[in-house]
This record gives sequence, C-alpha cells and structure tokens, in this order.
Amino acid sequence: MSSPSELERDFATALLGGPDEAIITAIQGDGLDPAARVAIYRNHVFVTLTAALEATYPVVVRLVDRRFFAYAADRYIREHPPAGPCLFEYGATLADFLATFPACRHLAYLPDVVRLEWALNRALHAEDAVAIDPRSLAAAPPDEIGRLKLRLHPSVSLLESSWPIDRIWRANQPGEDPEATVSLDAGGARLEVYRLEDDVVFRPVPPSTYAFRQALACELDLQSAAEAARSADPSFDLTDALRELLDDGLIVGASATSPSPKNEGQRCKPTQRPR
Amino acid sequence: MIARDERSGVLPAHVGVGLRAPHVAEVMATRPAIAFFEVHTENYLGGGPAAAALERLRRDYAVSLHGVGLSLGGADPLDRRHLLRVKRLVERIQPALVSEHLAWSVDGGAYLNHLLPLPYDAMRLHATSLRIEQVQEALGRTILVENPARYLRFRHSPIPEPEFLGELARRTGCGILLDVNNVYVSSRNFDEDPLAYLNAVPAHAIAEIHLAGHATNHADGRTILIDDHGSRVAEPVWDLYRATLARLGPVPTLIEWDTNLPELAVLRDEAARAEQLLLTAQGRAHCVVAE
Repeated sequence: MSSPSELERDFATALLGGPDEAIITAIQGDGLDPAARVAIYRNHVFVTLTAALEATYPVVVRLVDRRFFAYAADRYIREHPPAGPCLFEYGATLADFLATFPACRHLAYLPDVVRLEWALNRALHAEDAVAIDPRSLAAAPPDEIGRLKLRLHPSVSLLESSWPIDRIWRANQPGEDPEATVSLDAGGARLEVYRLEDDVVFRPVPPSTYAFRQALACELDLQSAAEAARSADPSFDLTDALRELLDDGLIVGASATSPSPKNEGQRCKPTQRPR
Repeated sequence: MIARDERSGVLPAHVGVGLRAPHVAEVMATRPAIAFFEVHTENYLGGGPAAAALERLRRDYAVSLHGVGLSLGGADPLDRRHLLRVKRLVERIQPALVSEHLAWSVDGGAYLNHLLPLPYDAMRLHATSLRIEQVQEALGRTILVENPARYLRFRHSPIPEPEFLGELARRTGCGILLDVNNVYVSSRNFDEDPLAYLNAVPAHAIAEIHLAGHATNHADGRTILIDDHGSRVAEPVWDLYRATLARLGPVPTLIEWDTNLPELAVLRDEAARAEQLLLTAQGRAHCVVAE
C-alpha cells in the first residue's frame, strides 16, 4: 500500500504524460487494462485544459491553426500544468513557452500576440477597484506630489511590441475579411489594455504616455515616472498626464508609501522582444 | 442537520439549472421561472463582469456555489489562498448551498483540472474529514460533498463509497450531494448495483441531487460510461431518480449540462421533467403524512 502522497504523485505523473507503471499497480482492472482506465482520466485532463487555453487565446488559435495549437498546448500542459484551480488564470506563461518552442520559431510575432490576448484575459477577470476622487490628488501639497505613488486599476497592462500586434488582433476577429492581410513591416505597437465597464479594450498610446504609465505600474513615484516619460518625449507635461489618467478613471489608489507589491511584478516585465 | 445561514435562505425542494456562461445574458434578460441556479465557484473568483452578474442574479434567485478546486480528498495541504477566495465569494453571494466533491485535483501544487478518485481507507477518511472541517470552519457553514463519477477502482480501497460518504457526514456534519448520474455511471463501470448504492447512502444527510447526461464509450470490448454532462439525462438515470425520490421524498434537484451546451430551453425542458417527478414525490409524502 502506497502512502497518500505517493499514490497521488504517481497518478499525477501518469496524467501529465509521464510513466504510468507505478499507478497501474495500485489499480484494479475490472475487465479492462488499468492503463486504459488511467488514459480516460488523462484524456479529460488534456481535452479540458486545451479547451481552456483555446478559450483564452482565440486569435492565436486562428493564426496557427487549431491542430497546431492543440499540439503546442499538449506540450505546454505537460511542462506547465495549472498552478491554481481557476481556468481563467491558466496560460499566463504561454507566450514565454511559445517564444522558445522550436515548431513556431518562424512566427516571430506570435509571442507578442499571445501577450496581448493574455492581457485582455487578465483585464477581464482582474479584481474590481474604484477610481479615486480627483480632488484627493489636488489636495496633496505641491512639494509632496512628486513622492506620491499611484496605483493603477488592476486591469491595466502595458504592452510594447516590434510587431503590429493590434492590427494582427483586429484582422483575426470573427466577421473580419478572412482574406485580409497585415504587413509585418507595418511597424510596432505600444498598447494599453484595461477594463471599461464590462468590456475590455486596448488602445495605442504615445511613447511618453507609455513610459509614464509603465513606470507607475512598476511602482515608481510620480517624479520618477515623469522623468521616464520626459526621456521618451521632452515635451511631456505631468499635469496633463495626471488629468488624463484621472479622466480615464484608472487611478485607484495614491500613497506616499509603497503599495502592496502583490498585484505587480507581472506588469513590470519588459514586453519588448528583439526582432 | 445542515446549518442554515439566515441571510442565504435554503434551496427550495424544486429543480434548478446549472448556469453556464453562454446562458448568463439570456437569464439576466428574461428572468425565467427556474427554482435556483448553481454555478461553478472557480469561474467567479475574479473581479469584473462575471462576478457582478452573479451578484445581480442573486437578488432574484437562490444560488448554489458548486466548487471543483478544494481537493477535499487530496494529499497536498489545503490551498489557503483558494479557500480565502471561496470564502470572499460566499460572503458576497450568500449562496443557499456550498458544495464540493469527494475527489482530489492537485499534486505538488499542479492542478490537474479533474475530479480524481481516491482510495477509500481509514487514513483517507480521517484526512478528508479534517479537510472538510477546515473548510467548514473557514466558511462558517457546512458544505455538501458530492459522490464522483469513477472510471477506476484501487486495489486497496476497503470502505464502500456510500459508507465513506456517510461517515464523512457523521464526523463533520457535512451534507451529501447525491449525483444520481454519477451513481449510475460508476456502478455500470464496475458491474455494481446502483440501487444498492443509493440505499446505502444515509438518507438524512442528502441535501441535494444532481442529474446529468453521460456518454457511452467502448474500450477493448468493454462499455465505459463517461460523465460528460453532454446530453439529456438517460432513461435508467430517470428510473434511479424516481427510486431516490421514493426513498427520500422531495429534494432540491439540479440539471447539469457542460459539454455541447444546448439552448437554455432544453435545460428547462429537462428541469420540467424532473419537477414532475418531484411533484409526484411530494404528493406521496403528503399521503404518508395523512395516513
């Protein structure tokens, strides 16, 4: 008799495509090869997790073809099974996985499209948060404004790509002309993704806005964020930039101390990949 | 007995429908006459429109939260972060019922997205009881535990499943969610008698019944039934449901459908059929009282 953890480990190993010798010794045949019984469970694991990835990445499925996606998903599931029970949180690392997946090395733009779809998915399910009252910022003493740290709405992601991922995404929406093509030389994109009411939207943002909001997402204070923005565009105006952010309702907290780092990290990863 | 939360109400002894994302807009717009809705807890643990819609739905309907991720029968330590998220949703939605499965789904932090079988022995009975108690303590209420559909049996599994469930209920005060389709699927897969199974589950602990369709597969000349929730309830399962109601009297019942999801009207049609059988059981219960 195996201990509880051994049996579960043996079963999990077999379910993720590893050897099933250990678990089948613990199983009764009941008129069928025990390995065939394990295969019923394994099939469910792969079918449902592949379906979950397909639901999160519909444009990627369209770009690479459903059969290829299922092939890549099979490898991804084996190497990166879910770390939590919520399917809408599964697949965060698919972009990094596909970036080094030999079979799609020729699709250099693909990982960034994956990142865009992940940002859209993430925004849809991000925690709710209420925008701060603009007057609360106006009330801060002018000499302390620069030291404030602003917390962006949890749905916000900033993405930078050398590829026209926004055009690629739009051209692959249901109902779009299937014959339409996007030139990969059409230039890169700097995008902001966020949730607006019940919808998730994205829009291109200018370099200084991108640098400013990315710095805020990385928990830099306002002064440092403004410096980052000015290095992208010397004409950057902090007052205007703050007003825009407040008008967009994307500031959900302001503090002189560091906000909880729990929700960050991921947004601060560089998203640009060399072409 | 099942402790009731005053604010949450109770599930009526009528038929509810498992609510899946493609039907949410229609339900919100038309407010159909359905006794209650049950949703998968794990689909509502984020923010945004999904949880907000469930909160609005809750104003007009009794809601049951049916979890698939707490791995009550597992060897990994309880996922505290997940339990906390479930607790927050329970506080927000005030469901009439919270249920989970007699199964495990995570090993070494890897979630396998399946309700996996465990051997039924004294050690796991103890461990699963403790796990259920931890969950009930955190949520401040009792939960229901559902019998899984099974495709394999372990060589060492000395306690019959209905007895294992009954003992969990006795030790922890949890209720039992009796999935009649799962009883049928598991029994057929191991050439056992589903009626004997049904009669072995302690009647007083059963607080909800699940009904769903299953698929029939063939492997190496043997028929294997798969609990895929992808079709109408099969006739033998309706027969078992009748037998269950004859034994228990009316019990809140749910129609579940997950794969190849049809129009909501089809689910309502199945619910109406179950409701007829519930009414018959109700009539019989009254007769018993009158005697």
